[in-house]
Amino acid sequence: MARFGRFSRELRARLWKPSVDEEVRRELDYHLEMLEHEFRASGLDPAAARAAALAKFGDTARIGDTCRDIGTQRDREHERSEWLAELRQDTRYALRQLRGNPRFTLVAVLTLAVGLGAVTTIFGIVNAVLLRPLPFADPDRLVLAWETTPLGRDFAVSEPDYLDWRERSKRFSAIGAYSFRTPSIRGDGGAERLGGFAVTHSLFTVLGVPPAHGRTFLADEDVPGGDTRVAVLSHALWQRRFGGDPSAIGQSVDLDGITHRVVGVMPRGFDFPSRTEIWVPLAPTLQYHRGDRRLQVVARLAPNATHDEAAADLRTIARDIATAYPSSNTGWGARLQPLREAYVTPQLQARLIVLLSTVAVLLVMACVNVASLLLARAGSREREIAVRAALGAGRGRIVRQLVVESVVLSLIGAVVGVALASIAIPVVRGIGGTAIPRLAEMSLDWRVLAFTLGACLTTGVVFGLAPALSLVRGGSGGTGAVDLLRGGTRTTSSGRLRNALVVSSVSLAMLLLVCAGLVGGSFVKLMRVDVGFAADRVLTGSVALPIGLSPADTGPGRYTRERVVMFHDALVERLEATAGVRAAAATNIAPFSGENTAMGFDPDGVPSERPGEERMASWRVVTLNYFAAMGIPLTRGRLLDARDRYPAPDAMVINETMARLGWNGDDPIGRRVKLSSGRTMTVVGVVRDTRHLYVDSLPPPTMYFSHAQFPWATMWVTVRTAGDPAVLADALRREVAALDPNVAVARVQPLMQLMQEATAEPRLIVTVFAIFASAALVLATIGLYGIVSYTVSQRAREIGVRLALGAPPRGIVAAVLSQGIRLAVIGVALGGVAAYGAAGALRTILFETEPTDAATFLGIGSILIAVAAVASAWPARRAARVDPIVTLRSE
Amino acid sequence: MTEPTELLHGTLDALILKTLAWGPRHGYAIAQWIETSSADALRIEQGSLYPALYRLERKGWIEAEWGLSDTKRQVKLYSLTSEGRERLAVETAQWSRFADGVARILLQPSPRTGSGRA
Repeated sequence: MARFGRFSRELRARLWKPSVDEEVRRELDYHLEMLEHEFRASGLDPAAARAAALAKFGDTARIGDTCRDIGTQRDREHERSEWLAELRQDTRYALRQLRGNPRFTLVAVLTLAVGLGAVTTIFGIVNAVLLRPLPFADPDRLVLAWETTPLGRDFAVSEPDYLDWRERSKRFSAIGAYSFRTPSIRGDGGAERLGGFAVTHSLFTVLGVPPAHGRTFLADEDVPGGDTRVAVLSHALWQRRFGGDPSAIGQSVDLDGITHRVVGVMPRGFDFPSRTEIWVPLAPTLQYHRGDRRLQVVARLAPNATHDEAAADLRTIARDIATAYPSSNTGWGARLQPLREAYVTPQLQARLIVLLSTVAVLLVMACVNVASLLLARAGSREREIAVRAALGAGRGRIVRQLVVESVVLSLIGAVVGVALASIAIPVVRGIGGTAIPRLAEMSLDWRVLAFTLGACLTTGVVFGLAPALSLVRGGSGGTGAVDLLRGGTRTTSSGRLRNALVVSSVSLAMLLLVCAGLVGGSFVKLMRVDVGFAADRVLTGSVALPIGLSPADTGPGRYTRERVVMFHDALVERLEATAGVRAAAATNIAPFSGENTAMGFDPDGVPSERPGEERMASWRVVTLNYFAAMGIPLTRGRLLDARDRYPAPDAMVINETMARLGWNGDDPIGRRVKLSSGRTMTVVGVVRDTRHLYVDSLPPPTMYFSHAQFPWATMWVTVRTAGDPAVLADALRREVAALDPNVAVARVQPLMQLMQEATAEPRLIVTVFAIFASAALVLATIGLYGIVSYTVSQRAREIGVRLALGAPPRGIVAAVLSQGIRLAVIGVALGGVAAYGAAGALRTILFETEPTDAATFLGIGSILIAVAAVASAWPARRAARVDPIVTLRSE
Repeated sequence: MTEPTELLHGTLDALILKTLAWGPRHGYAIAQWIETSSADALRIEQGSLYPALYRLERKGWIEAEWGLSDTKRQVKLYSLTSEGRERLAVETAQWSRFADGVARILLQPSPRTGSGRA
């Protein structure tokens, strides 16, 4: 009874509801009138009664205003709560609907989960690599400064040049330099090679990161002759060697036999430039040779300076230096580069953008599929909708209810999708974490989740709206509702929309699969690329011998040039005597280790015709057996051998590319080459080209020098083994320790592992693409199957009539099949055109594959049409098998 | 006769709720009822009733509907909701605690005059 009373009140309130203005005015007027009436009854004349009433009531204007404000607020809140109540109701209804159709729900949720999960994963990569700010103060103001070669290529900076830059530049608020230094730390547990850098004291100021404990370097610790034997530890090294004990500050560590004092510990996560465990002072000096360029320079733009101004300033300084020191600096310039670019190369950025667009296509495809599933289901819901419309539900309300249903669906999809992404993310990290900067810190953070939520809501509205509108228009508009209730006839106006959805689903699959096919094809080519040497069964490791910092520095354990040569000769000899070793050698830089040394050269001592343009070649110092250990065949002349020792004339072996570049087909054997360092070399042999910098770029011109003539303190050992190279890792460590217990081997790993790291980026992209491709194929199949089977079930009655009239079941199957195939062919054609247009954008990530590769287009097209055929034939056969009587009676 | 007392801040709400506990009423009737029930001891500026009514309605403690007055005029009739009934109980309890406390202090015999009486 109470409920009914309330209901009737609400009904009346809805029937007559004055505006707030009207409500307040009426109410106050009535009150005043009654007061006036009362005063008149007590004997006052009308004017006095009016005045008395107003006096007793108070300030009408103010009271009216207050009431109007509160009333407006009241109505707004009421609307909102009503809206929420309706939303709750819609949601409950939607959940009931979804529970009632578990098969539909499962397929739709999985489809959306695949789309949203993929989007989440890729956005996670983009977020980790591209969007997250660098972990330094105000990172957009940080720049790398390079010297540029006369050919305009970026190059490292010499110490005197750096010091001049620091002195003269006015557009930097701070400038710092750093150089690779990998000391071995010695202690109880034997020697351990550390990843480290010698840095100027200003580097930490430039980056704007204070230490977690202690301090960073002082200015007078960063000059020659100063107290340079100090070190700053990374958080990880501090944990490892000192157990995270704050009293580590002030303690000493033995680095390459020199006692250093620990002065500071950097915060967790601080890593600059990369994989750094220890920092020591660089102490740059003007006494160094100006042509010896080894420093990396990073600077912070002054608060009022733009990037261009600072770059122009630096170029002017470089020109002045070139004028003052023509022998070392003629033609050399300077360039600034945003620090961000050091982390995100333009190529990586292009690859990620391609990935993100691809995944967007995948999501659109998921939307199309769920929309078509919804539409297929709409058939069975037309009657329900018609009933609701007949009971007075407004068109807007029905659409809203349907959209709420699809949003609920996509929210469930998003939850499952995020679960999928949380499985995929560790895989992605595993593949690319070591090779792609900052990918290792990829996670589902709030930004990724917010993006997923946004994508999910958009998705829900997009795929829900089309079927909802079509239902309302076709199912309940005008006479439609009545017809439906009366005769159970079905509207077919959504047939065209359904066909359009099938076609777009197929064409999106075509687009995605063709792109995936092209990328996959280039990946296979990349994996099969002939690098020019046999990379399997080679073990590598890096050995750094402590050398004196100056010729006068001959402290205990220091290595002289002679001792460096002797050490490596002995090491190679010992390794070759080890069981399981085919050949052992050493080189200053292992292939694909991410390092390079290059120098200008003049064939026959003749400088390039164009002044200021010198020819550059990579150079490697190698021990005699290097070519045997790596499997690099000789094509001309001889290899380096025991003759090529000091003081014999400097000999070198070059690769074919360098022979072509220098002598243009003439025999280079016996020719002389003047290096930009001033040394003159004699070519004794030519070996095959090898790709040793990048797998996906052509072999660079390369010169090989004899280690006995060019002793080098930091060498990579390369050991060719008979079996699994990893087995010999301990033997390598043992032999090095046997020669000098204070020397440690770092980065002991099979060469294949270095190669894999070098190809990690393309491999990651392709793996992700492969996942997309399979997802796209699954989605296309589900979409196609859903639509076609629905169409067939719609035609069950017609099929029944035909069968009853004696039509052969096979003919019916053929008709359904041909309709499915026709739609698929249209989709494939449209998708093919789109893919042809999109493939151009793929050029940046393809490797030796044409974006218009016909085989890929035809192959993918036929696969999709075959899928369409299977998806059509299956339900058609089922329909044709049903007894026509059953079908006809069921209507 | 003493002057009617000004209402303490916040008590008007409680009075309105109590008034409506007897049954639905329009604004004017509420004002009348408060004045007569308190034997004219409480004086309210009648207009200030309305902001309080709107506020209470917004809070959902009372609800309003349009009905006909005795004089066949369209008037807004307020009635108590179940939330309002609960609220009234709370306010009543609060008020009696408050009044009790104040009374305890004010009615305590003061030390100076108290000793004289004792």
